[in-house]
Amino acid sequence: MAERTRPYGKIRSIARKETGELMREKTFILSVLIQLFIASFSTFLVIGLTSFYDPTIMGDIEMQGISIAVVGTEDNELYRLLRESKLNTRLYSDLTPAYGDFYEHKVDAIVIAPPGPPEGEEILNVDIYLPRSEIKATLISLQMKEPLEKFEQHVRDIRTQRLPGYSPIEVNINKRGIKTSSTYFEFIYVALLPLLVFTPAFISGGLVIDFITEEFERKTMELLMASPASMMDIVSGKVLVAVAIVPLQALAWMLLMGANMIVIRNFFSILMVVTLIGAILVLISSMISISFRYRGVSQLLYSMILIFLFMVSYLFTNSPLNLVTRLSIGSIGTAESTLWMGIYSLVALALGILTAATVKRKYDNN
Amino acid sequence: MSGWFTIAKWEFFRSKLKFDTRSAVLLALSLTLVIAASFAAVQTQMSMNQKIYTAASSEPTLRPILESDQRFSYMPLTVYEATQFYMYGADLVIIGNNVYLGDSAKSAAAGSALENTIKEYREAVLTSYDDINNSHPVWVTVHDIERPQNFQLLSAQDAAGTMKAVQDTENKDLGEDYPRGEITQEYLNRGSSFTLPEDISELDDYKGKAFFQKQTLSTPSFFSPPIPFTAILYAFLFIFPIYFVSQFYSTSIMDERTNKKGELILASPLLSRDVVIGKTLPYIIVTLLIQAVITVYIMGFPADLRAAQSSILILVTILPVVLLFFALSFFGAILSRSFKELTFTSVFLSVVISGYLFFPAMFANIHAISSISPITLIVRLIEGETVLVNTYLFSTLPFYFVALSAFAFGTYIYREEDLFTQKAISEKITDCLEIFLLSSYGSVFLLSIIFIPFVYMTQLMLIVMLFNLPAPHSVIVMIVLSAMAEELVKSAGIYTVFKRKLQPVKLKSALRLAVLSGAGFFVGEKAVAVLTLAPIASSAFGAVMTMGNLLLIPLLLHVSTAAVSSLVMYRFGTRRYLFSVIVATLVHSIYNLFILRGVLLG
Repeated sequence: MAERTRPYGKIRSIARKETGELMREKTFILSVLIQLFIASFSTFLVIGLTSFYDPTIMGDIEMQGISIAVVGTEDNELYRLLRESKLNTRLYSDLTPAYGDFYEHKVDAIVIAPPGPPEGEEILNVDIYLPRSEIKATLISLQMKEPLEKFEQHVRDIRTQRLPGYSPIEVNINKRGIKTSSTYFEFIYVALLPLLVFTPAFISGGLVIDFITEEFERKTMELLMASPASMMDIVSGKVLVAVAIVPLQALAWMLLMGANMIVIRNFFSILMVVTLIGAILVLISSMISISFRYRGVSQLLYSMILIFLFMVSYLFTNSPLNLVTRLSIGSIGTAESTLWMGIYSLVALALGILTAATVKRKYDNN
Repeated sequence: MSGWFTIAKWEFFRSKLKFDTRSAVLLALSLTLVIAASFAAVQTQMSMNQKIYTAASSEPTLRPILESDQRFSYMPLTVYEATQFYMYGADLVIIGNNVYLGDSAKSAAAGSALENTIKEYREAVLTSYDDINNSHPVWVTVHDIERPQNFQLLSAQDAAGTMKAVQDTENKDLGEDYPRGEITQEYLNRGSSFTLPEDISELDDYKGKAFFQKQTLSTPSFFSPPIPFTAILYAFLFIFPIYFVSQFYSTSIMDERTNKKGELILASPLLSRDVVIGKTLPYIIVTLLIQAVITVYIMGFPADLRAAQSSILILVTILPVVLLFFALSFFGAILSRSFKELTFTSVFLSVVISGYLFFPAMFANIHAISSISPITLIVRLIEGETVLVNTYLFSTLPFYFVALSAFAFGTYIYREEDLFTQKAISEKITDCLEIFLLSSYGSVFLLSIIFIPFVYMTQLMLIVMLFNLPAPHSVIVMIVLSAMAEELVKSAGIYTVFKRKLQPVKLKSALRLAVLSGAGFFVGEKAVAVLTLAPIASSAFGAVMTMGNLLLIPLLLHVSTAAVSSLVMYRFGTRRYLFSVIVATLVHSIYNLFILRGVLLG
């Protein structure tokens, strides 16, 4: 009995030492701050930019105080479509007075409607003059897109009949009351959520490098080795702390997102995935740091591997980030998600064995 | 030969030694892997959105369209099952020409995604016909033209905390540059010449261009408003190498400190300034070389004098950014007691600086305020525009100031007792301030001015961070935190004076220091306000004028809140420093809240 508990006791004391240092140096708090910063920053982008660049979100906001000048004739199709949109339009028959009003801020854009008939052969060019470096320019071009597309459709309805064998796709999407766009939805669940929950895992990978290389560079590893703890105990203790803090932080992020009315499904499966990936990264970086001992080299190698893994994630379905996305919106069946969690557990297990082998090879004293 | 040169030479050759053959081979290998994986990733849709929506259908007409988009997984159902598609976990169902959505947000998003996918498919089919006049009959040409702006710029730096708008009234009547006579399109289009496409293959050129360049010509379906991604892309391209090199740099500084490796250099008759310059210069030069390569990559090899000039201007603009990164890494490396602390400090600082650089740059081409970030200037230079000297100063001066003072403060404590001891961070900072105050030009007055750019940058960051709190709360938190930042820097000098007994701790000196520190902050703040508003509002005179009636009150405020913290420290001792700052912050916030009560309650 005593034989079996002692090694764990040693691992625990190493883990306790690292945790204590982590808390005392307040670095842990700093790391939480970093994540808070990333979160705030991303939320800023979500709210600020998505709503800004997404006409469906802006939908109900009237374009007050913004009007555009249309140079053309009363019966012009584009003028009719623009008048139907949310934009306030003013018709001019000539460019000169339109430019004068533009210059005096009475109108904020000038559109030159093409005079050519839709039945013609020539390309119809719409010239749009926007004020440089003004926020109104973006607002106007957002609102212009829909009438412009309708205009294109109108002309195409006539002209595509000349294309041999072309038949337009007629699909009618029956929208319900919920107003959202795929850009906004995907930003939150495809970009923001995975990035937030995995940041703790990325950080822990770097953290364990500091844990280990610091002992080598400060020459305190010899001191630790002289204690009853073996190299294996030391590494295990450090790995344990680095992995254990991953789900804690991820949980905090998910709760914070929940507080922001973002519904996350499969809470515990997501935490599992994040912890597994955290373990994989921590094991990789502890192997690196045992082999190289220098912080600079190890950190560089680790970042390279991290970028590599990130790029590889684009290539297949159910990569860790994709898996978290699909879990969070309930787009994956239990069987499929269990299978992939099994695969990641096996990877983590294999890396654990590999790390143990590396430690044994380097320090053949068990 | 000067001492710094020797150190620089040393640093340059020594840094290579760390990489033995094994690590060099592994690094090269991992770099190859990264390049290969990135290349493979670029071939995909570059998004991890595989199979997030499920589309059900009883007939396979739309199947090829759905399968062209990795976001959809396709679920064949019988006609009866299709009416109850949500029971099978599908987000939408296609029956005949109709698409029905579920009642969740995800279903709504799936519907909007399907709409876009169908549109893209349609464009792809139409493009396959080589008949541009009939398949893409409408084109849009966007021209950006100048007109006098009336600015509604909120001044975050206003001492009283009042949100005031600076209105430029100079150009109200039609200016001199207003053209006389007939306006023609040719006149407005000057400088920009677009010819309409004649061939379908040109469509791809315009689609591709939109990503790296501002879109000027497209069909309505591909028409998209100025999206900030270009700026982010450039920022990444330029900033990424700086992250890496500054990692090495801070590790090298830290290396000197672990196990007292740097003791020999310090024992030599070199000035610590020379050591710092020598250790820093190689890294800065290497980074600038990398930046030069990136510039050539983006701009192409400069063919004529003008191209060469804008390439050089890009480098000149990136220089303060590089300096700031290195200065803060240097300071961080001096302060940290362990590698962990160094990692976190440098990551934290990198994130903060990146935020400062990236966020305003997203509004490049949208709003003039974006020029507080040097990245915006780089974007403009790449797009072939000119950057005025005062715009350059406006966006880079805070960087230069913060970088130089961080280097200076770090150099002050580049000495044995601070490098090789496990001194607390606050002690080290106090050491810097003490050395500054003891120097011939040092005074609390000047110290407050030096801290202004730090406060300025902090407050800008706070705006970004607090944006996502609900409206009245975010303003209140912003007021309290920015007041705290101001009080912290104003009292830091007084703290140092009392703590290190630089002057006798008397009531008289407490008050005198408070007046000096408060007045220093006030002067610096006004200088910043004039400097920063001037390039935008185009007349510094106008900016000063609007501040006129508010001049006395902020001065009194800064002096009196400084006096609060000073007196608390005088009465209760420097151990209650934090308490004194909190009391001063309270007074400051209450005043600001009082001024802003109209905005908050109204």
